Amino acid sequence: MDNLIIEGTKQTPSINFNAGSGILEISGRSIPENTFEFFNPVLLWLEAYSQVAGEKTVINVKLEYFNTSSSKYILEIFKRLRSLLNDGKDVNVKWYYEEDDEEMMETGEDYQDVSGLDFEIIPIEE
Amino acid sequence: MHMEIYNKFRSMMDNHIILSFKGEINSDIISMVLQIMETKLDAVQEKGTVKKRIFNILVECMQNLYHHAESENLQDTDRRAAMLEMFFDDEFYYITSGNFIKIEEVDKLRDRIERVNSLDKDDLRAYYREILDNNRISNKGGADLGMIDMAKKSGQKLDYEFTEVNDKVSFFGLKVKIGKNKE
Repeated sequence: MDNLIIEGTKQTPSINFNAGSGILEISGRSIPENTFEFFNPVLLWLEAYSQVAGEKTVINVKLEYFNTSSSKYILEIFKRLRSLLNDGKDVNVKWYYEEDDEEMMETGEDYQDVSGLDFEIIPIEE
Repeated sequence: MHMEIYNKFRSMMDNHIILSFKGEINSDIISMVLQIMETKLDAVQEKGTVKKRIFNILVECMQNLYHHAESENLQDTDRRAAMLEMFFDDEFYYITSGNFIKIEEVDKLRDRIERVNSLDKDDLRAYYREILDNNRISNKGGADLGMIDMAKKSGQKLDYEFTEVNDKVSFFGLKVKIGKNKE
């Protein structure tokens, strides 16, 4: 299947989802007013991906900040990945945060708790 | 005549107004305001975390206005005037927003803010997780997460007021404080 590549803007994150390697990355900021418009294609891609995914999927999340309407969709992304776990596949979330951004670290813990996925929560030195 | 404008300017200076806006909030205005604020915040001698909190709360406030502001008579949907202001004093930055809402939505909104205000830091976090997990997605926003998130980022109680304007609408005013944290 095709990879999903979306270039980031001032309001929307960069997406680089590689179906072949199983390495997915979302980075930047996510503050669009109409979150559905942005995230719906991403969720549709993940649905198709879940049919063809290999043994291991890694998602790198490197978000600087996001609005609360994006936060629901970010959880939806994790829920789609959770279904891979249910199929006996390996899913690893690498949640990056800027070292002094304790809130983003805690948000990572919140998502880990709610999604039931394995998270590595990793500080980025500035 | 010139005194009038000077006095207004003086008062904006004395009240440390960083930004003051009245009008309809649309997508272009949100991007413009954020762009202006990024430049202004870069000039502020603050830690990155404080800037991030300010930016986050500003985004939530503007998106609330974008999605929920009504017109004064509920009919001229192209005249959904709202206000947004940001200023500071020795201790805090303040972000205030104001907009008309339907009178029947007042109680629900007041309850929501009161609930958020009644929680301490840990309970607020637990409540955030609960709402994140349970609520359905609404295209108008994060389904209640906005107030929780602003309270979390602010670390202070949310100040608010409702002013009945006519038999259909109330004016909802919200003031969010962000503590200064000089390095």
